[in-house]
Amino acid sequence: MQIVVILGQVLDPSGIVVKGKAGRIFVNREEYVLQPADKCALEAALRIKDTTNAKVMALPRGPLPNDDVLRQALAMGADRAVYLTTRRVANPPYGDAVMADVLAAAVEKLGGADLLLTGATTLDTGQGQLGPRLAEALGWPQIVGAWQVASRRVSESAGGRVEAVLQRAGNYVTVEADLPAVVTVLPGALKPRYPDGVRLINVYRAEDAVERWDVSDLVDEASLQPLLEKRGQDFPPERELGVRLSGTPEEMAQALADALRERVSR
Amino acid sequence: MDMSYLDLLMAQQEEVTEAEGGGGVWVVADLANGTVAPVTLEALGAARTLADALGAYVYGVLLGDGVSDGSTALTTSLAQTLYQAGADGVRVADHPSLARFALEPYLAVLAGLFEAEQPEVVLFGATGAGQELAARLAQRLGGGLIEHVTAVRLDEATRTVEATFPIYGGEYSEIAACPEARPQFLTIEPRAFPAPFIDTYRQGEPTMIEVDPVEPAVRVLGPADDFEPPALPLAQAPVIVAAGRQAGDFELVHQLAAALGGRVAGDRGARDAGWIGPQQVVDVRGVTVAPQVYVAVGIRGDTFHDAAIAESKFIAAIHPDPDAPIFQVADLCLEAEPAEVLPALLEALEK
Repeated sequence: MQIVVILGQVLDPSGIVVKGKAGRIFVNREEYVLQPADKCALEAALRIKDTTNAKVMALPRGPLPNDDVLRQALAMGADRAVYLTTRRVANPPYGDAVMADVLAAAVEKLGGADLLLTGATTLDTGQGQLGPRLAEALGWPQIVGAWQVASRRVSESAGGRVEAVLQRAGNYVTVEADLPAVVTVLPGALKPRYPDGVRLINVYRAEDAVERWDVSDLVDEASLQPLLEKRGQDFPPERELGVRLSGTPEEMAQALADALRERVSR
Repeated sequence: MDMSYLDLLMAQQEEVTEAEGGGGVWVVADLANGTVAPVTLEALGAARTLADALGAYVYGVLLGDGVSDGSTALTTSLAQTLYQAGADGVRVADHPSLARFALEPYLAVLAGLFEAEQPEVVLFGATGAGQELAARLAQRLGGGLIEHVTAVRLDEATRTVEATFPIYGGEYSEIAACPEARPQFLTIEPRAFPAPFIDTYRQGEPTMIEVDPVEPAVRVLGPADDFEPPALPLAQAPVIVAAGRQAGDFELVHQLAAALGGRVAGDRGARDAGWIGPQQVVDVRGVTVAPQVYVAVGIRGDTFHDAAIAESKFIAAIHPDPDAPIFQVADLCLEAEPAEVLPALLEALEK
């Protein structure tokens, strides 16, 4: 069984400060981490690998500035990782629409896959369209927003199935789809494992631990045009100041109790 | 003064007429408990504003089972609700296979419809179904998609919608546009847009869509009884009592949470002090919360904590430092030692 995990990276929010008044974002520490939801997708893939003879391959959400997150995936237990290079500008904002086509071509180059996992949303932009777009480009079924993922082999002829736990109208339900399929995993759904120490050293020591594919080998790169363009930033309005209570602690406590009782129905 | 002409004018039923040809701003309706979901009405309001500036028409699309049969009051009212909220035309797909949301049947209807109608803008609610449909349709029709939109404005020269969506859960927003590809798909965040004026004098005759039933590819096997969700409830808890470094006695925080029927949480300081687990950390990097009531006990409130509680309906803060940043976001500020306030507060809540 071939599992493909699509991984992205995100600027660690603890390294940035947003100043609404100045209308600027200050980056104090430029550190990229694996997208939390993608990390859970990787964990889901590795859990399937733990119990079956599946192979896990990591692909990036787009051309990344460096291959750190892919090396991290290898250290956590992925079998292969591919870094997409491009002759265009260092980090072109291709967007999910274009990347869906590129990644679909990459899956084809792999000779297909049984299961494709990625995060249901990104930490920064909150966009969850890559998974469904890939499912559409590949013509596969999709399960969006999974809490748990498991694969099941039905029979030699029928092939495998994927089972997932979803939330529907406040309840948790188990759903299944025939493979191949795309499943997107929610951030925080699973507790990702720590990378193995020895593997971590080895994947950073080995120059060629991460394979390199050029985007132009997969698709006609000249025709790639991002659909969306950035038109600016907006900062939330300064919140109006609340009421400051005065008096003794007892008086303040009484006022707070009244305010809470008004809003909490028990 | 004779005002009877006004009554005449008001009583005149306004028959909404549709235009020929493609384009238009389309809204795909979400149904919740047999009624049109509020997010759909909000989307119709936004669509109306866009369409008026574009000189286009607003169309609503209704999918479901038994949503069109004119003989029952409920069903006509569903389509009429869309007209009243601003739609100029309504398309209805009524088929047993559409009774509940399943991707492939819904997708088949909408893809066929939009291939024929060539919309300029398509709005969905940013709900589970809306997100799935919008992304698949955008890929199939070659359109751009912006998700979780909280505001729109129009670049009239190019007839392009510039949409605002939150970054890092609302730390700030980015504005994006889809300048060339059409349709422009947007999913509208619930409660981000005002509910439109419901004009009960607007009405129209919905058009039916032929439905060819399609099998859904994802089958529901049944409830996942043995599944325990990790950490989810804190984000959805209606009442949260959170502790910070200055909370003093953590036992009192527990008692306050119990008295309010709320959940215990904290900031990173409380986690470092060992009071709470990592799943209880309220922070943009941890859990983002939006409760009805959030009580911050001894939390100073850094940027990431304050952003994570920004969606809360009511925030009360207790902290001894008058300059604590938490007071910038709190609705009710108690400048005091929590150890002095909490016993009195618990006593007052007892009564």
